[in-house]
Amino acid sequence: MTADPLPAGAGQRATLKARVERIFDHAADTRSLFLSLTSGKHLRFIPGQFISITIPLGDETRSRPYSVASDPEDRGPFEICFNRVAGGRGVQWMFERRVGDTIDFSGPYGTFTIDRAPAAEAGFMAEGTAIAPIRPMLRRALESSPAPKIHLIYAAPDREHILYAAELGELARTAPGFSYETVIAPAEEIYDRLLELAQARWVIGDADRMRHFYICGVGKGVIRLRDLLRGAGYERRAVHYEQW
Amino acid sequence: MMWGRFRGLDTPHSLNYDLNPMAKLRIQFENGDPEKVIEFDPAKAPFHHDGRPGSILDVMLGHGVHLEHACGGNCACTTCHVIVKHGFNKLGESSEQEEDLLDKAPGLTPTSRLGCQAVIEDPDAEIVVVIPRYTINQVSEAAEE
Repeated sequence: MTADPLPAGAGQRATLKARVERIFDHAADTRSLFLSLTSGKHLRFIPGQFISITIPLGDETRSRPYSVASDPEDRGPFEICFNRVAGGRGVQWMFERRVGDTIDFSGPYGTFTIDRAPAAEAGFMAEGTAIAPIRPMLRRALESSPAPKIHLIYAAPDREHILYAAELGELARTAPGFSYETVIAPAEEIYDRLLELAQARWVIGDADRMRHFYICGVGKGVIRLRDLLRGAGYERRAVHYEQW
Repeated sequence: MMWGRFRGLDTPHSLNYDLNPMAKLRIQFENGDPEKVIEFDPAKAPFHHDGRPGSILDVMLGHGVHLEHACGGNCACTTCHVIVKHGFNKLGESSEQEEDLLDKAPGLTPTSRLGCQAVIEDPDAEIVVVIPRYTINQVSEAAEE
């Protein structure tokens, strides 16, 4: 790329700066960074949103999205979560950040959100680090009284990659109406398993078509889940999804 | 590397243009920034690394013209929303995923597209787009409290 000889176009966003306060490794290839704004202020976002981090790569920069995994009501550092991707230079840079480093980002962004509890029973599905946006969404959805009935199906290739397992277990014990199940399957079979479970529970299981769904994951499997549910008669706008 | 050129540059490339017609993308900015015109050969896509190859986003970034794409051009947000003023039918069809996102874009019009998904394939296409002043979640100024 040559340098841009022209003024930037419309809508370039203000850049915010955050400091890495803490690092937590969920697994050898999966990490959370806890970030605080250097301004001393608190990041305001809606559960499910992501920030767009500016990543320097050689003589250029790229913007890459990272969902906020923490709750907007938490007044401490906010959390982003990611895993290594083969050949992923951007995420390699993320893994090289250390406590005290600063990160430039813009946002928050995204429309895969929950700012109030769904009006009806809800189904959530996620795999691996795609639980990140789901985590604060669940908390927001369960805050209402009475909270809607919610079931989460969470898949990963092994137990180590079921993130926030203790927290989800505690939530299932204490939050009325919330239940969850985990699926452990080889990576290439994860979406087949999610499809089977979604079909059994929400398609064949009964004739209720008033549910809302929130699906987050990587690749075309997310689209297959969307198509299964919409094809089964759920209203198009009740099936929310974010595909990475 | 810049594959295309900006209109008005008196370079050998502009001579080539007469022999090898290229697609034209005219970009207007609702915020009053000056219009830009990019001429390019769609067969040479991708021009950059974000968005679908040959998409409006890809063409703009590859020619040094900024367009927001907070999700990295992965069809997961609406920050690259553009309004197509001319040549809408010359663009590749939108997917259900793109339509789902556009549903949530402020200022949606019948000819709205996501820049990261709208691919210009026709080498003779002349596309005119407007970059809206506002895109969804333009909350950077209010993101701190």
